[in-house]
Amino acid sequence: MRFVIIGSGRVGVRTARVLREEGHEATLVERDGDLTRRARADGFTVVRGDGSREGVLEEAGIESADGLGALTDDLNVNFTACLIGRHHGCRTVMRIDEEHREEIYRKYATEVDDVVHPERLGAMAAKNALLGGSIRAIADVAGGLQLVELTVTESAPVKGYTMGELELPADARLLAFGKADDELGLPTPDESVAVGDRLVVLAEFPALEDVRRLLIGEMPTRAVAGGERR
Amino acid sequence: MITAYVMVKGNSGDADRIRSAIEAVEGVESAHIVAGDVDFIAKVVVDTPAAVKDVTATRIQGLEGVADTRTYIAME
Repeated sequence: MRFVIIGSGRVGVRTARVLREEGHEATLVERDGDLTRRARADGFTVVRGDGSREGVLEEAGIESADGLGALTDDLNVNFTACLIGRHHGCRTVMRIDEEHREEIYRKYATEVDDVVHPERLGAMAAKNALLGGSIRAIADVAGGLQLVELTVTESAPVKGYTMGELELPADARLLAFGKADDELGLPTPDESVAVGDRLVVLAEFPALEDVRRLLIGEMPTRAVAGGERR
Repeated sequence: MITAYVMVKGNSGDADRIRSAIEAVEGVESAHIVAGDVDFIAKVVVDTPAAVKDVTATRIQGLEGVADTRTYIAME
């Protein structure tokens, strides 16, 4: 697929690189001379100019692009670029800079198909790493509601019980279960829980701690070697 | 009459409620949710410059979910 990425800073270039690695074609748009040179040295096609100008986006091939990633740190540029991208029939993804705006843009910006908040994603990854690999936040589904994957440890109280015997707090639901070396699937009542098995749970923030204690046990003093890598 | 445009930065996602609260402030003629580095723009129409300050610094800034305001007074 073909993509136009606005902004060749840390977020834009990394996104373009991942797309390129997966066999897609990405053209960057960058206002700054140094960043333009650096991205070109890295082998990227970069159009130098303001990503909120239609002419610049046309030069970057917006007419034939499948998607537009507006990934600069300037919200006005990002939003305008999405408007133009939408006009040309692109899927549009906008980078935002502050937590509270995620909800606002999801609700009101009909021209924006999805929003990304890199700082929050980074914080989630850092938190997962700090917790030592046995609990992994997958997504904030809504304000106060989080989707997490937990890996059953040696000290987990739930170890040895079956799915049917598992009782989660009221504000939590088990969505998927996977044996240690198997793929995740829908949970069935007869399956028993062993070390290394994974459970995907949707829970309200206040219930998360109870879920963690039940499925993992007390905080390990040392991070599980290897941790979570995917 | 004095007209002023107030750029309002929020700190909460419930934009509908904040917009309504801003619009309910006396002296505010209209308020919109906007895209960009501010979240709302309100148009204020009052009698005196002092009233502009009261509407923005005291009333709008005092609303829950409002982090910051910046006011531009129209010259013409």
